[in-house]
Order: sequence, then C-alpha cells, then structure tokens
Amino acid sequence: MPEIDEDQLVKRVAQGDEHAFLTVYDCYVGRVHALTLRILGDPMLAEEATQDTFLKLWSRAYLYLAERGSLLIWLLTIARRTALDRLRLEGRRPTLSDSEDPDETLQSIPDRNSLSEEDRWQSMHFAIQALSPEQRQLIELAYYQGLSQSEIAEVLGWPLGTVKTRLRAAMERLRREWGPK
Amino acid sequence: MTYFEHLPFLENIPAYALGALDAKDAAALEAHLRTCASCRDELAAYRLTSDNLLMSLPPQQPSTALRQRLQRRLPSAQKAARPRLNWSFRRVAVGMAILLLLALNMFSILQVRALRSQQAQLMDQIQNGQLALVMLSYPHTQSFPIKAENVTGSLLLDKEYNNAVLILRGLPSIPEDQTYQVWLIAPNGERTSAGLLRPQTNLPFISEPVYSTQDLVNFVGVGMTVEPAGGSDHPTGQQIFRIDF
Repeated sequence: MPEIDEDQLVKRVAQGDEHAFLTVYDCYVGRVHALTLRILGDPMLAEEATQDTFLKLWSRAYLYLAERGSLLIWLLTIARRTALDRLRLEGRRPTLSDSEDPDETLQSIPDRNSLSEEDRWQSMHFAIQALSPEQRQLIELAYYQGLSQSEIAEVLGWPLGTVKTRLRAAMERLRREWGPK
Repeated sequence: MTYFEHLPFLENIPAYALGALDAKDAAALEAHLRTCASCRDELAAYRLTSDNLLMSLPPQQPSTALRQRLQRRLPSAQKAARPRLNWSFRRVAVGMAILLLLALNMFSILQVRALRSQQAQLMDQIQNGQLALVMLSYPHTQSFPIKAENVTGSLLLDKEYNNAVLILRGLPSIPEDQTYQVWLIAPNGERTSAGLLRPQTNLPFISEPVYSTQDLVNFVGVGMTVEPAGGSDHPTGQQIFRIDF
C-alpha cells in the first residue's frame, strides 16, 4: 500500500474505524491466508487462523509500532503465532514432504535491491529455491511447523548437533542469497 | 569477551531468529543479548531474514465468506443485530406479562368464586342462627338434646309454627361422594327426607332447618344418616343420631 500511510491507517483501526480495518484486510488477507494455509495445510483451519489474526489486529491495533517494522510483517508475525498455536492445539505431526515445489519458482527474478513489499516476497521466494531440499526441509520444520532444534532432531532422526549445524548453514545461505548486495 | 566466548551464542542466533532454539539455550542467549551489542546486531540481521521468510509465499485468497464473517464481528454489525435481539426479548417479555396477567385473572376469579361460596354459606348460617334465636324466643318452642358419638347439639321444634332447626357441634367432615341426610320419622316408622347437609370445616357448629312439606305434628322423631352424595329416598347408611319427640 505505497499510497497509504500505514501508521495512520492502524491508528484509525485502533480508534474503531471499521472502514480502515477492512482496508487493511483487503490489502493483506492474501498474504496472511497464504501463511496460515502453509502452516496448517487445511483450508478451514487456515481460515479460522486468518480470521483470528485480523480479530487480533482489530482488538490490539494500538500495540503496533511503525518504527519496529511494516504493518504486513506485524500481521504475518501474528498470523504465524496464531497458526502455530492452532497446530499445537491440534497436536498434529509435521509432514516431511518438500512443500516448496520448484515448478512454482517464479518465472522472473525480481530486483533484490527493490524495497517494495511486492518484490520482497518474490525475492525471498527465489532465495528459498536456492536452498538444497534438505535445507528447505529444515527451514520448513523450524519456521512453518514451529519445531525446536531438539524436536527436529527427533522427527528427522538426526543427532542434535547435526540439526544445529545444518540449520545454521541454511539460515546463512538464505541471508547470503537474500541479503543486500 | 573474546570471539571464542561469543561463538556459542553466535552459533545459536540463526536458530533463535527462526524461533527454533530450545528453551534453555534461548534463555542463555537472551541473557547474553542484554549485554552484547554486536550479538544484537547479528540477531537483527537474521531477524530480517526470518521476517522475510514470512513474505516468501505467494498470496492465497480465502473464501469471500471470511470477510462477511469478520464484518459480522465488528461493532456496527452487532449494533444492527442488537435491536432484533431486543425486539425478540421484548416480544417474549410482553408474552410472559400477558400470560402472567391471565394467570392472575384466573386466580382472582377462582378466589372471588370461593369467597362468594363462603359468603353464601355464612349467610345461610346467619339466617339459620337467626331462625334458631327467633324460635328460642317463642314460648312453645321445645328443645331436644342430641348426644351421639362425636356429635352433640339440640333440635329446636315449634309445632305451632311448623318450624324445626338442628344445631349440631362436632359433626365430622365427610367425603365428597357422601352427604348427611335428615329424616322425619312418622308414627308408622316411615322416613321422609328433610334435607341434606355438609359440615363447614371453618365453623364450630352448624345450624340447619328441618324442611318439611307436611305438618311436623305428623311426625314423632328426627334422625340423620350418612348417604351417597345427592341423598337417598330412604335411609341406607350409618345412623348418626335419632331423637324422639
């Protein structure tokens, strides 16, 4: 939403402006739902988590601090926690498939130095594709399934030290791939 | 702190940024971060990476119903829905009030009926009592005592004016399907019905005229029996008392 002042928009939401709230919803629901769907894997559960995320925005908008990050990152952070809480509540075990289908890799490689939100997600998506399947799986289990290193070691049957080393290597790779050049 | 002292913390920062560090290691790292600016910078860099992981997914639109569900949770929708709830509640309240009024009316009607019935019985008793008093003032009135099991009283008899009144105390109450019946006894033993009566539970005595279509001089006694409700043509039940005059 380059033309809209996010800070002002969230302040209006905090003051009970429903139009402002629905504006945020319309702009970001696709991103939020993509994340909850990725974590939960079930469209109905994902919709519930998406709804909970926006209800939290409605009731806690006054907590948003623009200087600590964009509104989208704030919303997605809430969405991730909400979905992971739901995942734990459901008591479901993580799936070990490679959910990043290489065929879905974007056809165009965006400009990584662009600061627009639209380009950032594309850039990160590309960076993830640069990881090995093993590294993508580790990121998936840690970030999208909410598992700790010990839990990942248990799920994969690897020594804890191996998980730590490979996870750190995956993050360093991501940082290199995505990071400012 | 040397580089080697930092190393265990530095190694844990990527996992911490992902939220994957085990609780014990995370607590140690957080304590270290409070005093180490370089590690905080390192964490900020990895946080940027993990934050962008959030944005790595192509958008997915949920169903349009989700927006409608959310709108229904907003105050304006709830305010719009509230009057309907109030209206519904008001209708229920009005209905309940009408039912309550109807019930109160029915109760009042029944109470009035019961009071009228009691009033009529009391009026009868007063009239009978007055008749007994008048009879006692007549010089020719005779009084015959009644002493039977559970029942005492008198029979006031004025053959000149053809009046007789029974005054009874302690007459036991009787089931709904039975009644007391008074009989006039002819010299040949024939019984003629002289009225039905039921004792009043709230009165210590009962005064009841003895009804006769014939002159009382044609009779030699009065008796009372228990009969089925509505009375009998001749005595069939238990005798309560008999007086000969």
